Amino acid sequence: MTEQGLSHARLNRDVLRTLTETGPVYWWALGLALAVSLVCFFLPWGYQLVAGVGVAGMNRPLVWGMYLSNFIFWIGLSHSGTLLSAVLHITGSPWRRAIYRSAEAMTLFSLMVAVLFVFVHVGRPWNIYWSLPYPNQRELWPNFRSPLLFDVTAITTYLTASFTFLFMGAMPDLAAARDGTTGWRKTLYTWLALGWRGTEREWHHLGWAYTFFAVLIIPLAVSVHSIVSWDFALSTVPGFHQTVFAPYFVVGAIYSGTAGIVTVMFLLRKLYHFEAYITEDHFDKLGRLLLVLSLLWTYINGLELFTGWYSGSSAELETLRYKLTGLYAPLYWAMLLFCAALPLVLTSSRVRHSFRSMLAISVLVNIGMYFERFLIIATSLPRKFLPNTWRDYLPTWVELAILLGSLAIFVSLFLIFVKLVPSLSIYEVKETLPHGKGADGEGPP
Amino acid sequence: MSVLGLFARPETALAAAKALTDAGHAVSLMSPYPIEGAAEALRLPRSPIRRYTLFGGLLGFSCGFGLAVFSATRHLLPTGGRPIIPLPPFLLIGYELTILFGVLATLLGFLICARLPAWRERPYASETAVDKYGVLLECGADGEAEAETRLRAAGAEAIRRGGELMPPEEGT
Amino acid sequence: MGDYLDKWKQYREPGFPGQLDYAWGLAVDLDRCTGCEACVVACQAENNLPIVGEKDVGEGREIQWLRIERYWEGEYPDLRLRFLPMLCQHCASAPCETVCPVAATYHNQDGLNVQVYNRCIGTRSCAAYCPYEVRYFNWRTPRWDPPLEQQLNPDVSVREMGVMEKCTFCIQRIRLAKDQAKDEGRRVGPDEVQPACVQSCPSQALRFGDRQAPDSAVSKASRSARAYAVLEELNTRPVITYLRKGEEHD
Repeated sequence: MTEQGLSHARLNRDVLRTLTETGPVYWWALGLALAVSLVCFFLPWGYQLVAGVGVAGMNRPLVWGMYLSNFIFWIGLSHSGTLLSAVLHITGSPWRRAIYRSAEAMTLFSLMVAVLFVFVHVGRPWNIYWSLPYPNQRELWPNFRSPLLFDVTAITTYLTASFTFLFMGAMPDLAAARDGTTGWRKTLYTWLALGWRGTEREWHHLGWAYTFFAVLIIPLAVSVHSIVSWDFALSTVPGFHQTVFAPYFVVGAIYSGTAGIVTVMFLLRKLYHFEAYITEDHFDKLGRLLLVLSLLWTYINGLELFTGWYSGSSAELETLRYKLTGLYAPLYWAMLLFCAALPLVLTSSRVRHSFRSMLAISVLVNIGMYFERFLIIATSLPRKFLPNTWRDYLPTWVELAILLGSLAIFVSLFLIFVKLVPSLSIYEVKETLPHGKGADGEGPP
Repeated sequence: MSVLGLFARPETALAAAKALTDAGHAVSLMSPYPIEGAAEALRLPRSPIRRYTLFGGLLGFSCGFGLAVFSATRHLLPTGGRPIIPLPPFLLIGYELTILFGVLATLLGFLICARLPAWRERPYASETAVDKYGVLLECGADGEAEAETRLRAAGAEAIRRGGELMPPEEGT
Repeated sequence: MGDYLDKWKQYREPGFPGQLDYAWGLAVDLDRCTGCEACVVACQAENNLPIVGEKDVGEGREIQWLRIERYWEGEYPDLRLRFLPMLCQHCASAPCETVCPVAATYHNQDGLNVQVYNRCIGTRSCAAYCPYEVRYFNWRTPRWDPPLEQQLNPDVSVREMGVMEKCTFCIQRIRLAKDQAKDEGRRVGPDEVQPACVQSCPSQALRFGDRQAPDSAVSKASRSARAYAVLEELNTRPVITYLRKGEEHD
């Protein structure tokens, strides 16, 4: 065997090992995540289904609450996975290869959790299929003029496209897993790999199809979060009714999504010992991206305040006052600290090259971004036009538990995913390895 | 019938495949990752997938816009003082379905072009998914020996007569 | 082909396609309103409004299709109290209608903003979009302690948990009047129908009628120098005319 063979074979082994070798830590983590999902998400939700949405803290005028914040948050987190992967594929950035599989999985799972929140949010979830266009004997169709229907269309498309993108990119690796495993896994991967053999014909068409997917997914991802923003911006509510909302949401989504990727990369690297494949260089690149996004986000955030103030409308000014000094002012200032001020330390190369500080920043950014999504709803709706109806909003234990439970669902899905699909793109990392140039055989340089 | 030769290095495998193709044989190349220049060497035409994508996108746009117009005109339910057929929202539905149908058509195009799914026995060597490069040479029922000689001459380090069948009966 | 083109042109026009049968409207004379809330009680009785209980009222979930908003002005002792009866404005450009994904709320041929309870899936977006806060959500299953369920109005459906509801201008009364008028082969008179709130107002601060008839009480009110619409600047085009408190009278 040549040196090159050693490192290629080792890559296959390293990645396939993560599928088959499962330590007790994994089972404990999975068990804990599943238990938390059950106790914190499904049981409270069941309670809410029986007792009514009244068990949440929403009231009038705050008919939208934390459930919608969670919906935006998870959709936001889903941006970057597939979007980043597509952009980097088109621009031909080789550093994408080690990270994109898990980033795309993140997209898929956070989207699923987001969709779950639509069910949690509505008053009669058992009738939610009425918002789908299906023929029925009464010839009743959904209202395509509604921004919520834009959402239904966009999210269906996004789920389908992300899943297809992930599946197509993983097909060669599923074939490798088929060849490298036994038992029920072999049967599973034989079906999933569709009979992939890695012939030049397959690679040739995969390359084309993959590029087209990437080209289609970029405008899709931008439109999805613009449409989510229009759920708000198409109203007349002060604090929602802003033209800047679409870019604001898109930038915010990519921002929190990128931070999410950093967190996931850190954990994968630590738990799976992918030190050889996920390097400081990746974190440095992601850190630069985060810095740029934080600056953009800060700018738009400032713009939002400015347009509110400049309108001079008393309702806008009151919303602004409530946001900056009202009940949730501490959250607002914490958001600015986490998402605008703190990421400035990323200008230092030392910080970008330190795994721990990158982890801390990415987690704090996402906490700040959650506050942002929460504040959009919790500081705009309480101050609508008629002062007689003004009222504050406090989430109840049901809403808080469901938030925690949704995190556990996401973690559970991800944990199941990493055992089923190679979480590192074997074939694309191989492309970066030297072809028999006498490399040391201990992994990539 | 076919014979599969395994090569240790991509350059040799590519050169062998190119030479055999130029000599008029039916050849395919198997590799663990896409090899630069393989499509040209084996004279693959430009991928027709782009036509599928374009067609899917156009179909998606007309379906999206058409669905919105159709469903809005079954029962006239005027909302918000807007027209029954307002253009901006309906164009948006068209936009989303352009992408949805585009993606699905691209997937379909890929499956057709790459002749997948193929859940049946085909010549294959699982090493080509790890670190070997395979050249699969089609030959007549009595031409296997000759094909093997050709592959050996081109630098193949191992030969799989008839090929490893996929899916194999037992685990490897 | 030409048929389709005509339809296309018609469907591209903003507003209600074709002619409205009636254009029902309400006039609120703030000069006459004493804030007695008789209309609120009448509405409650007529439309089977759920009684949500003390706890939910404390949490801001009371259901009052018509409410009297109170605004205090000035400092003690120079204190003034203003009343603003607030109910669904049946806006011609209603933000609530466009946002409903299942078209559970739309504009009907009487110029009313109607709510189809059976179609509602409870996204509550209409309430979030409504600048007047007149849409009420059933946060829990409504209950009437016996024998209160005996007094429910049989002409009005009882709503279930998870459904949005709001003022209908007592559509059951409008329907009844239209049926009678149809049987007698005539149009409904401009001031013939009275919703429960109008009927019970002791100071006659509320007037209801057809805005298409130029001599109806609402049409006259809308021509008054005191006429205004609440939150006119949002361009929702409400059909409720408010007459401001003032010295000048018609």
